[in-house]
Order: sequence, then structure tokens, then C-alpha cells
Amino acid sequence: MKIEDVFRKIELFNGLSDQELKLVEMICKEKRFTPGEVIVSQGEYTDELYVITQGFVEVHLGKPSKKIKDLVTLGEGQITGEISLVDQGPRSATVAAGTEPTTVQIIDRKDLETICLETPSIGYIIMRNIATDLAFKLRHRNINEGGEYGDL
Amino acid sequence: MATYKVSYVITGSNHPGAIINRHDRPTIGENIRLGPNTFEVIEVFDLVPPRGEFHYLHATCKKVNSDQNEEN
Repeated sequence: MKIEDVFRKIELFNGLSDQELKLVEMICKEKRFTPGEVIVSQGEYTDELYVITQGFVEVHLGKPSKKIKDLVTLGEGQITGEISLVDQGPRSATVAAGTEPTTVQIIDRKDLETICLETPSIGYIIMRNIATDLAFKLRHRNINEGGEYGDL
Repeated sequence: MATYKVSYVITGSNHPGAIINRHDRPTIGENIRLGPNTFEVIEVFDLVPPRGEFHYLHATCKKVNSDQNEEN
């Protein structure tokens, strides 16, 4: 499958024109991880957003060597690293590849900021999609923590 | 082609659940695999309205017992 076909199924890029998507593709770098390999560690400072294009990642609180609590499993099409991308703080959780090989597309914050400043329509769409993704994750966590949806 | 972004929440288990894109809407009674475990979908509903080709769903699941897991 072509990378543009993969990107069309990723919510982060939902709403981008073909031309805008090509600009974003140019700043993406593919990286593969072996099962269990750590992608980011809680507390570290990095400037990258990860788009999962194959496999799964496990997100948990605590350092890689000292897991405190599992938070969520993220599959193909999901993003991670968006919190630090937005607030520029340390990583809020540890992310590791799941039980199978995992492929991600990595977007560097500075590259993304440059493209967003040069083409504000891309900036609006991507930031809106990051906000939507964060809201979805919050709803997931609320239901997970609160039990019945109607109890919220 | 529609993409269904699904929030899987697992009842009766410490599993933290998962968020996964898929190409079709999950159905009640369907089995899904998350890592080494198999879960049965027992509830599905739209979490928020769709936007473009993206649909946002919640699915409640329960763990399938180990005997059934081995069969899968």
C-alpha cells in the first residue's frame, strides 16, 4: 500500500488536501521497532510526534523498568507524543512497541511548526485533529475509569 | 472508505483497553484480539458524531475464558 493511502486513513491528516498531505509526507520519517522496544520514556524531553502505521504500542505510567500502571493500547492509525508536542513538557508516559513489530512515522516538532506557519490551513487542520484525538482519549479514559457511560 | 476509530473498554479485567482504527463497525458477539488475549464485544455505540469519513465508537468487551482463547 502506498504511504499516501496509509495516511488517508489516519485521523491526524483528515481534511488535508492531496497537496497539503504531500507537504506533510515530506517531513515524516519512518522508524521500525521490535516487540517490547521502548519508543519514549516518561519524563524525557523529545520533540517528536509518532503516528502508528503498523502494529500496536503499549502506553504506561512509570519508567520502562518500573511500570506503575497500564494506560492504553494504541493501534494502527493512532498518534502518541501529542501532549509533549503541544505543551513542550516532558513525556507524560512511557510508550513501547507491543507484542509484534511496530512501524511509526515520526514528525519533528520544528518541522511541523514550520509547515504550519507557512501553510496555516495545514496548521489549523492538524491542531484540530490533535485536539479531537486528545478528547477521544479522554473519553476513553473516563469510561474506563468510570464504568457505565451513563454514570459520567 | 470509512474509518472506524474504536475505544475498546474491557470489563472485569485489569486490561487498560485500546484505541484502534478499523474498516468496519464492530458487532456484538464479535471476538477481538488485543495482544495475547481475546475479548468478546458486548456493547457498541457512537461516542461522538462522525466527521468526514471518520466514525468514533465505543465498544465494551469482556475477556473470553482461557479455554476459548486456546481454541482461537
